[in-house]
Amino acid sequence: MKRALLPITLLSLVLLVAGCASKTATEQEFPPRVDTQAAPTATTDLSRQPAPLGVGSQGVQSGPVADHQAVSGLSRILFDYNQFTLDDAARGVLEKNALYLKANASGRVIIEGHCDDRGSDEYNLALGERRAMAAKSYLVSLGIAAERLSTISYGEEQPLVTAASEDGWAQNRRAEFKVAR
Amino acid sequence: MSGWLRRLALLTGLLWLPLAAAGAEIEISAPGQQAIPLALTRFLPQEGAAAPAVAAELHEVLSADLDLAGLFRFVDPQAFLADAGKLGLFSPEVDFGQWQLLGAEVLIKGGYRVQGEELAVEARLFDVPGRRLLTGRRFVGRLQDARKIAHAFADEILKTLTGQAGPFDSRIAFISKRSGHKELWLMDVDGRNPIRLTDHRLLVLNPDFSPTGKELLFTSYRAGNPDLYRKEIFTGREARLSSHAGLNIAGRYAPDGRTVALTLSRDGDPELYLLGIDGAIRKRLTTSFGVDVDPSWSPDGRQLVFVSSRLGSPQMFILDLQSGAVRRLTANGKYDATPAWSPKGDRIVFSRQEGGRFDLYSIRPDGSDERRLSFGPGGAEHPRWSPDGRFLVYSVEKAGKKSLWIMRADGTGMRQIEAEGSHPAWSVVW
Repeated sequence: MKRALLPITLLSLVLLVAGCASKTATEQEFPPRVDTQAAPTATTDLSRQPAPLGVGSQGVQSGPVADHQAVSGLSRILFDYNQFTLDDAARGVLEKNALYLKANASGRVIIEGHCDDRGSDEYNLALGERRAMAAKSYLVSLGIAAERLSTISYGEEQPLVTAASEDGWAQNRRAEFKVAR
Repeated sequence: MSGWLRRLALLTGLLWLPLAAAGAEIEISAPGQQAIPLALTRFLPQEGAAAPAVAAELHEVLSADLDLAGLFRFVDPQAFLADAGKLGLFSPEVDFGQWQLLGAEVLIKGGYRVQGEELAVEARLFDVPGRRLLTGRRFVGRLQDARKIAHAFADEILKTLTGQAGPFDSRIAFISKRSGHKELWLMDVDGRNPIRLTDHRLLVLNPDFSPTGKELLFTSYRAGNPDLYRKEIFTGREARLSSHAGLNIAGRYAPDGRTVALTLSRDGDPELYLLGIDGAIRKRLTTSFGVDVDPSWSPDGRQLVFVSSRLGSPQMFILDLQSGAVRRLTANGKYDATPAWSPKGDRIVFSRQEGGRFDLYSIRPDGSDERRLSFGPGGAEHPRWSPDGRFLVYSVEKAGKKSLWIMRADGTGMRQIEAEGSHPAWSVVW
């Protein structure tokens, strides 16, 4: 081993020196031609790129006129957190709503399902729908024609109150009943 | 005799090391472990009058993007020597010795030319120890394209040094109610140039880009029901893709752009379905009692991670589209939502609700190596990945106000990009 060490070291040194010399030579080939020409080969022309089509910068728009309205004969019901089951209080309110709907037998009703703003938006859209549908099922079981009732969920998008408190959240977990004009 | 030989041999051996290391591409997966010393000089006028505002804008954007990249340590500009003031667009023109003195390993130089409304920029990235040009690019456009030019060059710098282009010249879509209703908006990755894309005037939610970045899916209540729409970004054309009774929400393009996963409740219960891009139902994917929502595709298009309340509270599950098998991703949390599968395939980022607030977590698709990414203040939700899988955009809620932030995939580098907005989505570079 020791005998070989001297020739190996000498060979190494020779190769290193030769390597350094040739490295300088190849360095002149690198970088790509970009460097030695007057202008780089890669040009990006932005002037012809398409632009996204925006709708312009109008200010605050007035919303569409709501085609459903609340009426005093139809009251909202509330739900527990992350629940869509009807408690006794909710059933009581729905029974009163059913009486109103039987007395005012024409007209379509929209049942809106809402959530408090805790929880994921999309999950709350689904939860809101289940609340609306639970209310609809119960009304149907009380004799209201299913065709009169449609459901829509707004999830956490249309809170009644904005307070971030147990009381505020409880008020937002609801189903609303609106009548078509 | 053998002592000096051994030392000489050792020295000779050591001399080989720099040659072996030269020319290696840098693999950065954990920013902060490698901080490449970078000298970023201000671009100089090539001919004609100086336009300091343009130079400042180019500099500001490059600084911000390269800082966000998490790869670099900036050499203090106060220490720059005379070469910083010289144009130097080709390596024979650059005094690399000056930059080596400052410890820089990479150097950015450039020039610009303003003629009326037109702007031309020459941008260069140099390897200082190697004394050579790594990449050069010429941009032509208008004055208002200055930021875009800088973003594009930042992307190019990342591509040159790591093999993968950056996402800085891409767009982020989001929902904002600044016009009076929740509508779909588009902005740059740094939050600039927001433009409104929809005028539905009721409720627009939850956008998703097509794989080409040229179309967006979203849910809108315009027709009186939460329906799924598709919009072409450049023509503005919209089509209603899915309008079944009940929910048509959480639409997500498959990675091949040929199908859309979404939640429909037409059969009475919110379930995941697969639609063709013509809107026709191809397949129902879930059949559990309970809410199934929030799908996110694996990059190979073979699996979906989604949220289901089949076990009570919202938890994440993974569906294998081929076999139909469903497995729970993790049992660590009580309420997990908004999962997003990395384009690299190796991680899923999601939001977990604990103590009334959401925080972002990252986990491997096999359920291992769960890490918390955000710690407040405010709740963080709806994470979405950049197309290169290096960054995340997400929504933060503080005191009832929703803002948009971005950060690196490891949770560092958090910065706000939009003061009012939610539901972000990140496109590819067009």
